[in-house]
Amino acid sequence: MKYPFAGLAAGLTLFLMTAAGANAAASCGTNAAEAATGEPIVIGAITGKTGPDDFSNSTRAAKAYFDCLNAKGGIHGRPVEYLVEDDQWNPEIAAQLAAKLVNDEKAVLMVGNSSFVECGANAEFYKKSGIIAIAGVGVPRECFFAESYATTNSGPRISMLGAMGYALEQLQAKSVVCIGPNIPNVGTWSCDGVMQLAKEKGLTAETILMDPGTADSTSTILQAAASKPDAIILGLPKGVTVPLLTAAEEQGLNQTIKFLSAASAYDLSVPETIGAGWDGNFIVNMEFNDLEATTPDNQNWLAVMNEYGQSSDPRDTFAQAGYLAARIAEAALMSLDPKEITRETASAAVRQMKGFNSDIFCAPWYFGEGQPRHNANTTTRMAVSEAGKWKVISDCTPSPDPELADIRAFEKTAGIAP
Amino acid sequence: MTFLPFLISGLGIGAIYALSGVGLVVLFRATGVLNFAFGAIGAIGAHVAWQILDWKYPLVLAIFAAVAVSTLISFSYGRFLAPLLSHRDTVVRAVGTLSLALVLIAVMGVIWGELPRKLQFPTDQMYQTIFGVRLTYTRILALLLALSMVCAITLLLSRTRLGLDMRALANDRDLSAILGVRIRKTETAAWVITGVFAGLAGLLLGDLVRLQGTFLTFLVIPAIAAAILGQLRSLWVTAIGGLCIGIAEALLTPLQDISPYRAAAPFVIALIAVTILGSTAQASLKDR
Repeated sequence: MKYPFAGLAAGLTLFLMTAAGANAAASCGTNAAEAATGEPIVIGAITGKTGPDDFSNSTRAAKAYFDCLNAKGGIHGRPVEYLVEDDQWNPEIAAQLAAKLVNDEKAVLMVGNSSFVECGANAEFYKKSGIIAIAGVGVPRECFFAESYATTNSGPRISMLGAMGYALEQLQAKSVVCIGPNIPNVGTWSCDGVMQLAKEKGLTAETILMDPGTADSTSTILQAAASKPDAIILGLPKGVTVPLLTAAEEQGLNQTIKFLSAASAYDLSVPETIGAGWDGNFIVNMEFNDLEATTPDNQNWLAVMNEYGQSSDPRDTFAQAGYLAARIAEAALMSLDPKEITRETASAAVRQMKGFNSDIFCAPWYFGEGQPRHNANTTTRMAVSEAGKWKVISDCTPSPDPELADIRAFEKTAGIAP
Repeated sequence: MTFLPFLISGLGIGAIYALSGVGLVVLFRATGVLNFAFGAIGAIGAHVAWQILDWKYPLVLAIFAAVAVSTLISFSYGRFLAPLLSHRDTVVRAVGTLSLALVLIAVMGVIWGELPRKLQFPTDQMYQTIFGVRLTYTRILALLLALSMVCAITLLLSRTRLGLDMRALANDRDLSAILGVRIRKTETAAWVITGVFAGLAGLLLGDLVRLQGTFLTFLVIPAIAAAILGQLRSLWVTAIGGLCIGIAEALLTPLQDISPYRAAAPFVIALIAVTILGSTAQASLKDR
């Protein structure tokens, strides 16, 4: 944001543009002329809104989509009642909220969830309750190793290894250093992947785990640069990535080492913040399509946000994830007889989801019926910081994560992957 | 030999911990208030500087405005709110400043949000290479500033009337009042001085660490650790303590097993300091 009122001004501009009909109209559901008036279908969501970071952009986007859907006929005339709760980054609260939404509110699905703590707290409960969560953004390992939990995003590890794949294939890196947060099922998990892949390929790799709260980024960077690696791969929140890059530039390392990052640094504000010193030198992974892509579904996402979201709702990757989760839920529910929508039928419909297409994904999304874990979004792109913007520099490439062996094997047998 | 680069990288931040610690001690000695809002007061100044630079005004104006805003906030709290608590326990007075910190965090959140930003000075681009590490002039500046501020405050306390009044207050508040020390004026002066320290420290931390309100607010903790090492009395011990805390945190980096937890170093040092020096600190609190 240039100055405090930029958001307001941008919002006003977008509003005016919408009013003037400059954007294509949002397309949702059957695009019926009448709003849905039937008996509501209850869908729940848990998000980490208040706490160390605000993850609610995913549920905000899902809410915008459901509002659009309800205004345009809903699920065969039945509106979606979307109940979003804030777990405050507290696993105990997340568990209480899940019980409330699933047991008391009788939600038929959980959609757009995006929380740092919820997977660990609730994945088992969802399985027992026979409810499926089509999450927006999952971060820790638990989100990708649960029977009833499927995310639309790739997760930090796949994203990190997507970046590593690029470093190996395109930059011909022979030695890498992985820097992740000292959180076991996030940083260690991601960097372990980098180490495994390096071992398989016979390269040298090193892991540095850091406290995201450290004030001293220079020492971390000096430690990473000590072994003179070809590439340094970061898997940290953007608020920690920017100071690390600043410290690296201070030491002149932006000229000698390639810096890459998982998708957590893919935010439109980052290239301008880090400045011209990183032009062509900072490369990030993208879990979804370019935020400004002019492809039809990405444009529809933006149109839905403009018409049904708040002007202050961020148009970021979390919002893309929430939008996709809502669309997948809609597709599953649309396949059912509207009179027969229960938790059982909805779950069964999601389980059979296969070949869900959107240009925001690289590859069609599927649930993976009967699988003990789900991770459909494993094909990602890369972008480089250039002149204050991100420039997409790679086509969709499958992540070389060795841990994906089971997923890839399933995709082959199910006829999803060639 | 591998530790030497980290020694250099710890110097800059250590110097700011020293500067912050001294700012805390000056205030505590004169008023008996441990200022938990020190980091937040500095952070808001740093954000003001960023804003002014973003509006393309000159750097000098940004620096001046930052220190002015920090000093003004510190002055306002010290002149109008702190006296309301002046007859309460040390703990109550410290908790009062915590509320100021929370209000300031909220204000920064509303105006600037938590988007990562960069505050940069021209001195970031100039450097000396020592042990293979670039020591930027911003860090050298931080060291010089810490040193000169400690000298200036030492002179103020030993050579001026205000300094004499401050020392008198530190020794015995009630007796000083009977002897005609103008307590409110002296205390307000201490709040202004600590505000200047907070403003300068905030600017440097915003540049060297990261420009993020909540984060900078909590950097008061290493400064408190330094102040405790100085037993909330000695400016020089506090300054050296601050420097050592910064260096200690950096020096732990190459130790594989400890490295992920090195950010806890200031807390651990503070804990050890409290355990060892606790009794003497207790005595200094009882003076009030």
